[in-house]
Amino acid sequence: MDQQPKDDIDIFEPTVTLDQTHYQEGYKNGYDDGLVSGKEDGRQVGLKMGFQVGEELGFYQGCLDVWMSAIRLDQDAFSARVRKNMEQLAALLSNYPLSDPENNQVQDMMEKIRMKFRVIMASLGAKLDYEGRPTSSKEDF
Amino acid sequence: MDGRGGAVELRETHRLTGHADRAWALAWNPNLGAGASPVLASCGGDKTVRIWKRAPDGGWQCTDVLEDTHNRTVRSCAWSPDGKLLATASFDATTAIWEYSGGDFECVATLEGHENEVKSASWSQSGSLLATCSRDKAVWIWEMQPGNEYECVAVLQGHTQDVKMVQWHPILDILVSVSYDNTIKVWADDGNDEWHCVQTLTEADNCGHSSTVWSISFNQKGNRMVTCSDDCTLKIWDTSIDLSQPETGEGHESWQHVSTLTGYHGRTIFSAHWSSGDFIASGAGDDAICLFVEEKSSMVEGPSYRLILKKEKAHDMDINSVRWCPQDPRVLASASDDGTVKLWELRGNILA
Repeated sequence: MDQQPKDDIDIFEPTVTLDQTHYQEGYKNGYDDGLVSGKEDGRQVGLKMGFQVGEELGFYQGCLDVWMSAIRLDQDAFSARVRKNMEQLAALLSNYPLSDPENNQVQDMMEKIRMKFRVIMASLGAKLDYEGRPTSSKEDF
Repeated sequence: MDGRGGAVELRETHRLTGHADRAWALAWNPNLGAGASPVLASCGGDKTVRIWKRAPDGGWQCTDVLEDTHNRTVRSCAWSPDGKLLATASFDATTAIWEYSGGDFECVATLEGHENEVKSASWSQSGSLLATCSRDKAVWIWEMQPGNEYECVAVLQGHTQDVKMVQWHPILDILVSVSYDNTIKVWADDGNDEWHCVQTLTEADNCGHSSTVWSISFNQKGNRMVTCSDDCTLKIWDTSIDLSQPETGEGHESWQHVSTLTGYHGRTIFSAHWSSGDFIASGAGDDAICLFVEEKSSMVEGPSYRLILKKEKAHDMDINSVRWCPQDPRVLASASDDGTVKLWELRGNILA
């Protein structure tokens, strides 16, 4: 009787797929490594971004706290219009979703807050600026 | 008109030199004392503002140089309606307010707020509001308070590009802005400090410009305005509707396109100015000045505009600004990239 070749075993398969096996092993190692370092990097970036946002919002809140104190001492420290702007800034700050960074409106809200702060600064004739914030985007000529 | 005979011509009467760089803009003081002679302010790339007055011998001299305040180009200047204050808009992102009293100029306030180059400033007729606009695409409205303090009333965002010029309506508190985004926007408030855009004039919907709009000027009555553009045309608009009034219901009326003046300049028209009479002057990148007259005809649906003359080679380079003298409606001033300011007199019988 002729020995029947077993169709489901290719004796050359391990040789031919050697590079594929190595690739898969390497891929798995890399992926596992990446998972670990990615988590760490992600954490660092998240901490940094969170800190920046928090610092900027804290800065505006700090300014507001001082202004509110000034108003308590002297009701007429600021004009009605400037007081209204300060109240609007306070509302914008309290509405900012601090615990929801994925909220896709945060960029918009931050822009509104920055603009409201600049309007108050312009009206007070003060040159105070939040140091950390990015300058305006690309130039167009 | 004035019965003077002779062919119509725009005669150059004076050439004012002094700016060390291009002359960007001009402003005539609108409110002088009785019998006082005209005062012209010019500003430019040399970071200064120059004040020009007629000398006793009839020539013109530079009586003041306002310097050491702006540290970049002064792009435009505007006198308050009472003639006592001069606002200067600069590429250094600030607008300075100068007080003119006792023949002396003093910088009494500096308005900061724009993110980059301020292009234009305009005082409302009521005198208490000042509008500024900038490459940052925004228009700021300021209100003057006692003691030379200026409060920001509103920041108007809507243009999608550099805003080239702002101009208040001569009577109402309505503001017009024109931009690199090819549109003209009209702004009004609801009586409660809330300003919003009440109309945008575009190419698609209103027969508007197809390229950057550089300049806007109202006629004296405020029922017409002229705009000019990089598309080499001037457009006249019917602005008789009071857009500051709230509309009830549908059918919100709008400002309408009246006429497009095309084929008169071969390059970007940078400036247009409507005199207190019926004349419109335009200055362009083809170094020419064109003068048009509004003709009221009962035969046509509305006024039409006729070219009176084209002054070729009025300057050696681009003309950035043309301004009619409020006290003498036949005198025109022009400012150019060639650094000079020229004074012209319109002579002859227009009606002939």
